[in-house]
Amino acid sequence: MGANATALSLSGVTKRFQGLVAVDGVTIDLASGKLNAIIGPNGAGKRRGVSRTLQIKSVFGGLSVIDNVRIAVLSHERIMAPFRPAGSIRAVTACADEIIDEVGLAAHRDAPAATLSYGDVALLEMALALAAQPKLLLLDEPVCGMGPEETEHTVGMIKEISQRIDVILIEHDMEVVFDIANFIMVMAQGAVLATGTAAEIARDPKVQEAYLGSPEDD
Amino acid sequence: MTIDHVRALAGAALMAALLAVPYVLPALGATFWVDIVAEILIWSLLAASVNLLLGYVGLLSFGQALYFGFGMYGVALSINNWNVGFWPALVIGIVAASAMALVAGVMAVRLTWHYFAIITVVFSLIFYFAAMSMKSLTGGDDGMSFSPPAVFSAGRYTLSLTDATVQYYAILGIVSACFALTALIVNSPLGLSFKAIRENDRRAALIGINVYRTRLIAFVIAGALAGTSGALFAFFGRYASATYMFYHLSGEAVVWAIVGGIGAVLGPLFGVAAFIVFRELVSHAWEHYLIAVGAITILVIMFAPRGLAGAWNDLLQLAMTRGHERPRSGEAFAVGEDG
Repeated sequence: MGANATALSLSGVTKRFQGLVAVDGVTIDLASGKLNAIIGPNGAGKRRGVSRTLQIKSVFGGLSVIDNVRIAVLSHERIMAPFRPAGSIRAVTACADEIIDEVGLAAHRDAPAATLSYGDVALLEMALALAAQPKLLLLDEPVCGMGPEETEHTVGMIKEISQRIDVILIEHDMEVVFDIANFIMVMAQGAVLATGTAAEIARDPKVQEAYLGSPEDD
Repeated sequence: MTIDHVRALAGAALMAALLAVPYVLPALGATFWVDIVAEILIWSLLAASVNLLLGYVGLLSFGQALYFGFGMYGVALSINNWNVGFWPALVIGIVAASAMALVAGVMAVRLTWHYFAIITVVFSLIFYFAAMSMKSLTGGDDGMSFSPPAVFSAGRYTLSLTDATVQYYAILGIVSACFALTALIVNSPLGLSFKAIRENDRRAALIGINVYRTRLIAFVIAGALAGTSGALFAFFGRYASATYMFYHLSGEAVVWAIVGGIGAVLGPLFGVAAFIVFRELVSHAWEHYLIAVGAITILVIMFAPRGLAGAWNDLLQLAMTRGHERPRSGEAFAVGEDG
């Protein structure tokens, strides 16, 4: 991965909902090796711009956490062992355990996924994504529904992951974004409003007007 | 002693009891019951084929009788026409059933839930009526009988199915092998992908599992199980009949599997045993005993939704974790899609 490599490049992305243009000819170029974030007010089109087909938020509820990750690991390793217990394949278990440790679900290793809290399900989903050994990780509001402690843990983890995998973070939580993102893209009304570092974005008058300056009801 | 130890002990006890059947039951003056146990073993494989699909892949098939019928006719026709031995006839029966399952499965496993259930019924009905009308080949309603070849023969030494003990052990051996194979498969990586598809097929597809192919594999394995059941039943009754291909039998297999416990390897055996023992004990005394069967089925589904095997697992867990830690309910459903 060169210093100037691209993590994600999209051009001319448009999405319409019966006349309403949610995303309007957006061109995105995000550099590799940075923790990129996309922010914007509600309905700005940030999610539609990136994760149009990645809206499946769920795990294998009836199976344990370790089995969830095992499945994800196994589906990428072509292991021909039709009669071998899946739990006895050491390389797979080791890999799955490593990922579970990394996302911080070790305490729930053998619990059925359906008994996890909402925040832990999000972590498990991240584990499933990591098991695929991706080049690029798109995170859509990963800390949504998490408590302060969980959020802090998750943010730290995302920061760590971004050292080796390109991460694009789509988030409402400003604090999180300004805390960890190297590069921020602001979207409003289906278009890119501004790009830059956290400091640059915070200073940008257009952004202040569209987003930060607007009175927040919540 | 952990739960796994208790399970292993219970399994060994069950196997020992089954092995002792041909000696213990006649000694108790219940020779007739040896055949009943053999029948339970045979039917449990048909229920196991439903359980593999419903309990592990999440597909409800109402057409497993079709593959049972192919297993039966595979045996009867190959013995009558080609005069083959016991083992080749058994293999031909299983292969015929698996091949039929492959043909039906190619179309059926594209669908799920009621669409899948309907197409499996339709397939079995088509072949049921075909078999009923092709009297010259199948014997239709009357069926066709054959004289079973020896299980094993070397020189003057022969093991024949006419010896009830030989027949029982041949059936027990083959059924045990099928259950052992099923247990291996459901715990293997392939079995894990079965369960992934059962829990959340869209997620499974996203993760890189070929859902269609995995379902097809499961369907063919289930067909082979039903075919083995049919082949053994043909040997057991020395005949094959098209009436066994009717969907009534498929429905019975579904009830056996559900009452026995979906998603537990030995569940079908418990379910079939409960129903057949009940039938044998009550049907002489009470003509309308099926009313009670229906009532019991409803009660089991209401109060033990994971069947007899599920109730046994819960009891075991409760007994083993008394006081220490709250038993975790094994019941868990997938969280909603697109949460």
